[in-house]
Amino acid sequence: MEESKPRLLTVLDVFTVALFLIATYMVFFYAPQEAVMGDVQRVFYFHVATGWVGMLGFIGAAVAGIIYLIKKDRKWDIVGLAAVEIGIVFIFINIVTGAIWARPIWNTWWTWDPRLTTATVMLLIYLAYLMLRQGIEDPDRRARFGAVYAIVGSLSVPLTYFSARIFRTIHPIVIGSGDPSATGSFDMSPLMTQTFMFSLLTFTFIFIDLFWHRIRLGRKADHVEQLRLQTME
Amino acid sequence: MLLSVLLQEGPANTTSYMIAGYTIIFGVMLIYLISLLIRQRNLNKDLEVLEEIQVED
Repeated sequence: MEESKPRLLTVLDVFTVALFLIATYMVFFYAPQEAVMGDVQRVFYFHVATGWVGMLGFIGAAVAGIIYLIKKDRKWDIVGLAAVEIGIVFIFINIVTGAIWARPIWNTWWTWDPRLTTATVMLLIYLAYLMLRQGIEDPDRRARFGAVYAIVGSLSVPLTYFSARIFRTIHPIVIGSGDPSATGSFDMSPLMTQTFMFSLLTFTFIFIDLFWHRIRLGRKADHVEQLRLQTME
Repeated sequence: MLLSVLLQEGPANTTSYMIAGYTIIFGVMLIYLISLLIRQRNLNKDLEVLEEIQVED
């Protein structure tokens, strides 16, 4: 069962790469240099966008988990796993780039601030999701456990998002009002706002594109597993 | 460092941190893309072998 690549996916690939190139150009050449922090502020555009993709992935996994529990169709387990994997990759980028930004601005790579802590806990929760799946042989049981875990684990997403808005934190909030004690806040100029919004849009397309590819890969892996089982019987 | 950043006249020289940040962003994304391609290639190989075995049987 060699599934050919849909033409729409090829179009999406090309479109996403084009968006990514434009976003990269905007980050380095279109957005002005921030007056106090200098060039490291440019990390902000993709730092937030990767956090957005990570959260999309985890919410997507929860939605797929709910649908799986209702329909008991394994394809939704494949969708959930794809979403979690992409979420982990992008939240990892988000946390590491945050630490790199923090070094010159907060004078430390890391601090156990509420936002940083909740983001790290969220990443660990989803790494544990992968470990949980590895430990279950039966595919249906694995899918059921994975679905429930993804739904419960998704509580960490709003907790992480609102942590910087609810708790006292030094993490800056660029959209909306944040804690006045936050360090590294800045007012976005119109060019910065345009670059930021374009980066969010670009990474949303990156998510959709990767998600589609990863689901196709998951379906193929499932097919290979089925064939292997048939061959062994 | 924050104090020196706040007291300086022009923007802080933080270019090396920006380069480090974008190296991580591009690097991790590239590694993930390569991992998808490798897994895809391995699955195609497995599929070929399994289909051959099924035909032989």
